[in-house]
Amino acid sequence: MERREVLKLLAGAASLPFLSPEAFSLFQAMHAQPGKNPALQALNPHQNATVIALSDRIIPSTKTPGAKAAKVNQFIDVIVADWYDEEEKESFLAGLAEVDARSQKLFGKDFVQLAPAQQDKLLTVMDGELADLYHPPAGYRKDRVNLLENNFFFRMKALTLTGYYTSQVGFEQELHESIIPPRHAGCAPVGEGAPGE
Amino acid sequence: MASKVYDAIVIGSGITGGWAAKELSEKGLETLVLEAGRPITPENDYVEHVPVWEKKFRGMNDTRKLDQEQPVQRTCGGLDEWNSKFFVNDRENPYTTPDGKPFLWIRGRQVGGRSITWGRQTYRWSDLDFEANLREGIAVDWPIRYADIAPWYDYVEDFIGVSGQAEGLPQLPDGKFLPPMEFNCAEVIVRDAIARHFPGERRMTMGRCAILTQLHRGRMPCHYCGPCARGCMTRSYFSSLNSTLPAALATGKTTVRPFSVVHSLVFDANTRKLTAVRVIDGQSKQAIEFRANVFFLCASALESARILLNSANPEFPDGLANSSGELGHNLMDHLMGGGARGRIEGNEDKAPLGHRPNGIYVPRFRNVKQKQSFLRGYGFQGGGSREGWQRGANTPGFGADFKQALGRPGPWSMGLYGFGECLPNHGNFIAIDKGKVDAWGIPTLHITAQWRENERALLQDMAVTASEMLEAAGAKDIDSFVEDNAPGLTIHEMGTARMGRDPKTSVLNAHNQAHDVQNLFVTDGACMASSSCVNPSLTYMALTARACDYAVQQMKRGEL
Repeated sequence: MERREVLKLLAGAASLPFLSPEAFSLFQAMHAQPGKNPALQALNPHQNATVIALSDRIIPSTKTPGAKAAKVNQFIDVIVADWYDEEEKESFLAGLAEVDARSQKLFGKDFVQLAPAQQDKLLTVMDGELADLYHPPAGYRKDRVNLLENNFFFRMKALTLTGYYTSQVGFEQELHESIIPPRHAGCAPVGEGAPGE
Repeated sequence: MASKVYDAIVIGSGITGGWAAKELSEKGLETLVLEAGRPITPENDYVEHVPVWEKKFRGMNDTRKLDQEQPVQRTCGGLDEWNSKFFVNDRENPYTTPDGKPFLWIRGRQVGGRSITWGRQTYRWSDLDFEANLREGIAVDWPIRYADIAPWYDYVEDFIGVSGQAEGLPQLPDGKFLPPMEFNCAEVIVRDAIARHFPGERRMTMGRCAILTQLHRGRMPCHYCGPCARGCMTRSYFSSLNSTLPAALATGKTTVRPFSVVHSLVFDANTRKLTAVRVIDGQSKQAIEFRANVFFLCASALESARILLNSANPEFPDGLANSSGELGHNLMDHLMGGGARGRIEGNEDKAPLGHRPNGIYVPRFRNVKQKQSFLRGYGFQGGGSREGWQRGANTPGFGADFKQALGRPGPWSMGLYGFGECLPNHGNFIAIDKGKVDAWGIPTLHITAQWRENERALLQDMAVTASEMLEAAGAKDIDSFVEDNAPGLTIHEMGTARMGRDPKTSVLNAHNQAHDVQNLFVTDGACMASSSCVNPSLTYMALTARACDYAVQQMKRGEL
């Protein structure tokens, strides 16, 4: 929703006997202080905790901060709430629940309660299920893209990478990118600047 | 209402409108520029340095809003989460196409027009292009040749600033170049392999682009931040907003009026001249008329033709200045979608630094020396790069090692993407859809266009020759492709009011002046009698400056 539309909604609400909860939460979101965590829109607290745990095993903290510190979960919440269509949203949330189901089956606990090594075991299984799709064999399946995009772990991994490397932490600390580069060169030593184009 | 009479009115403020305003006002004419869209203030509206983490969808676009408001515009690869505001709202600007024949009409309505978001590639035509229609008996002969336009190419290049490398090729004349940008490692390998394997036939050069590589006429050199199509605070790339409009305003003789949606032109049957422009105010939606002595249509190929078609009157029942019946016909666009990509091994310790907003260019080599089974040809654009973190989504793994690997650049790859010439065809045309109006009540267009046999043959050939060049360079995992893009997507639409020698078969004469209406000039892409395969904007600019010079000379002689 555009700022202008929110203001219009609020202006309308002022003449009502009370401010609707929707308008109020929008108002709060609009005036959220930078650094303050915005309210989650799509994920419930458990789903959010699962997303944080998954993302932080995909991109853990090393010498540089990981996905949790980069607040990748907040980005994923925005995507699930305002970018995915209903079908994608349901499928993503069902995928999260499925992670717990598999975790329960393997270890008798929800994913967030597992030790990191146990979490990694489950991630290895989920990532391994994509092996054929990552490395399409000769005459690869035409439905590859479709299968990949409908796979929960593929989505989760792709969103984690986007959320992380487009965060200020990922961009500056991990990739050493700068918006205005120090100079231009066609072939500079790796490490002098950012990777890729 | 007695209203002021301007010396000149320019309709449109983009690539050609900016040039018309500059030239006419510098030659002393009091000039009114009518722009359909809103004003743009670089300080507020340019967003090239806004970090990706400040965008809600981190560069993935507000897809729901785009589906609602810009379903056509979003098909353009140049639209992103930062600059979608520089593209029109499709709901306000509807048009129709026949079932099964899509045409993608990508538009920008604001002061500066599409010059804010254009691709900045800048190439001269040659006589191979200007003589092609005559030689092959296709459409009509161009009324001009390279010698007529060459001094105007010089003139325009000198003002806008074009970086590039002189190559001495007859089919792609050299210009007045600022130093070229740098090749990267993959490009050097492919360039050298092409030179070795295809001597005298094919060659790779640095893209010639309207981006400054050194200080030029008060504008700063490029600082390689990358996303030009979001604006440029340092005015390092050419746009009317960055270059020609400030020059026009500096004369004190130019007025730019935004929110001026042109409805039609007013023709006086007694003098057989235009007297005024009917405008719908973009905000109040009130009708207003502006009067002038000479009129320059620079609204883009389709909009300019639409205005003329909407200006039908008893003298010209099929559209103003349309005694030939060619107005709206011969719509062309360049074809895109054929080419190849491959991996280039080695140079793992090197990577590009900064974001060069330009690629390589392989000038046309088909039907230059040897005849092919198809007509005309194509050039390749593209470039080399190292894969970034995005490769991670398609790579096995997760965790600390995975993160460390993605923090380093991936393999080098090289892509070659063809841009091919489209033949003029009377059957590709626009007509007014009287039953459907836009948000300002102006009748809209029905666009009928399709690729034909020659275009399809070019597209296939692009994939073949691109693969040959990558193979010659030792590229691995070569992926050649032929994509079926709808016409319009290259955003080089042209030809709807073509120039020609004969008033019976063309709309404009050799000076972009309407054969039928003396004080009407059309200098945008509408004027093109064929399409060449090179990016067209430089030619539009040169033709505009040339037409302005002619118009002012005629006015001084009292002949206009």
